[in-house]
Amino acid sequence: MKLYIEIDGKTRSVEYTPGANAVKIDGVDMEADAQQQRPGVLSVIMDGRAWRVVLEEHEDEPALHLAGKRIAYRLDDPRSLKARRAHAGGADGPKAIKASMPGRVVRVVAQPGDLVEAHQGVVVIEAMKMQNELKSPKSGRVAELRVSAGDTVVSGDVLAVIE
Amino acid sequence: MGIPFATVYSDVDRTAPHVLESDETYRLGPAPATESYLRGDLLLDIARRAQADAIHPGYGFLSENADFAEACEEAEIKFIGPPAAAMRALGSKTRARQAADKAGMPRTPGSTKGLASLEEALDLAAEIGYPVMLKAAAGGGGKGMRMVTRQEDLKSAFETAQSEAERAFGSNEVYLEKLIDRPRHIEIQVLADEHGHCIYLGERECSIQRRHQKVIEEAPSAVVNAELRRQMGEAAVRLAKSAGYTNAGTVEFLLDDRDSFYFLEMNTRLQVEHPVTELVTGLDLVHLQIRIAQGEPLAIAQDDVRLRGHTIECRIYAEDPDNGFFPSPGKITRLLQPGGPGIREDSGIYEGWTVPMDYDPMLSKLIAYAPTREEAVARMLRALDEYVICGIRTNLALFRRILKDPDFQAARIDTGYLDRLLSETNQTMPSNQGEEQTALATIAAAVFESHRNAAPSTVAQPANSWKRNAREEGLRR
Repeated sequence: MKLYIEIDGKTRSVEYTPGANAVKIDGVDMEADAQQQRPGVLSVIMDGRAWRVVLEEHEDEPALHLAGKRIAYRLDDPRSLKARRAHAGGADGPKAIKASMPGRVVRVVAQPGDLVEAHQGVVVIEAMKMQNELKSPKSGRVAELRVSAGDTVVSGDVLAVIE
Repeated sequence: MGIPFATVYSDVDRTAPHVLESDETYRLGPAPATESYLRGDLLLDIARRAQADAIHPGYGFLSENADFAEACEEAEIKFIGPPAAAMRALGSKTRARQAADKAGMPRTPGSTKGLASLEEALDLAAEIGYPVMLKAAAGGGGKGMRMVTRQEDLKSAFETAQSEAERAFGSNEVYLEKLIDRPRHIEIQVLADEHGHCIYLGERECSIQRRHQKVIEEAPSAVVNAELRRQMGEAAVRLAKSAGYTNAGTVEFLLDDRDSFYFLEMNTRLQVEHPVTELVTGLDLVHLQIRIAQGEPLAIAQDDVRLRGHTIECRIYAEDPDNGFFPSPGKITRLLQPGGPGIREDSGIYEGWTVPMDYDPMLSKLIAYAPTREEAVARMLRALDEYVICGIRTNLALFRRILKDPDFQAARIDTGYLDRLLSETNQTMPSNQGEEQTALATIAAAVFESHRNAAPSTVAQPANSWKRNAREEGLRR
């Protein structure tokens, strides 16, 4: 079985023979014994060293917990490449201010049509008793304001659009 | 102590660990704290229904609310904490500053009353000089608190502090004090019975802070010697006695680099970081709180208090260090917790628990105890390596970084330490180790992914993933 795994922007091919303790990464042989302790928890022995790897499932960006680090990875296939290109927008043009966490809108600082500077606060969100001011990513005009005080938002919601 | 207990919960806490472990439990109300945990009237109704003799208010919400303590007194349900009058005299930071003046304790320059207007704030700040701190009089945990370094920033900081204070504490009283340069945060735990005895249980150092929120606490402090401990302890006891204080409380000080200490505020409740004191004194503070509330005299005198070993506590928060430490509520999809000698964990989470967005992002307190500071650091690092929380982002990696930092290990710390550390770029791992781990991660990802692609998750998991894969490969042919 051959899979392509992307970590830190670099894609590597992995080949292994199920049942054998050998793996090929980018065509290079490596000795590795991987045993699942329970779903999502893997014990890997490589060069006599023991590692515990824990899987964090996520639709877009799964991650591994390894030696105290969180390592995001992507299963690379042509479709996801296309999807990534589609996601990447141009540097100019309208920019959205998105909620970076779930929470409640406590204040809307700017109004539609207002001119704002880059890094000027537009919406204040409160979550877990902390207020966070979400700032404009660029200088421009508030084209859209999609929330008002009291609204509940989830991570990734578009709060406002600056053009 | 064998006392049966009842707890309360809001709708989002219906399956929280404290509910699962209770003898009795009662619904308070919907998720927002203002409609549940801050509703003293509902709490007292429930206390009557449960026929409770006493209420332990914990260390959040109403634990420092004098009106609630008074309502308990009127309802003849014992509030496990100080009397309302002592809370009023000390719980408000402004009144505590007035009390400190009377008790002859050094304090930071600034106002001893709430600021009536922005103009007053501007005048006072100009008089004592920037940088200054704006603080909610009713505050705690960094809420309603802002540092201001320039006059032009005072207006917005004043408004945000007021609004945050109003939302968190139901009072928008804000005062102003001078910022002490690079202080250490040292606090004294006091314990007073209802018969006039008051003792101090040594200090805790809480200099590792981010946004004025304590992140790591330890006891004892590496820089407090027996004489300084006695001076600070006696000052704390003097303040507590002058206000008729009873039960557990904490007097917070700032310590400058010349060993001068300044009264900061008093916390009229048990504190989040009380376990570090428990482990170095061998005392159970909640147990002693209940005994005091029962009217018993303190069974220990000041000379009986002995400090042994060293304890460090890490506050594990649901927040994303890669995204400005924004809160990261959500479902914990996988949880591996540490254990072993010298490790204690006080936690409110489990695998499958959804961390609500409505409250403080603290998940757990991880505490390491050992004979020396160096060994406690080593134990904590070992426990942190064992700890994995999936599904939400946490600050676990931050603790590894702090505990491995030479300045932290040498106890060269102050309240600005963490901000300075975070402004430095994180050193990357040595490259050979990095490559080995990347290879390992690549293999692990491939194994996990092949499982995911090959089988629906409902199938029972065979012990050996390679075997399972082989079977699945065989089926496909």
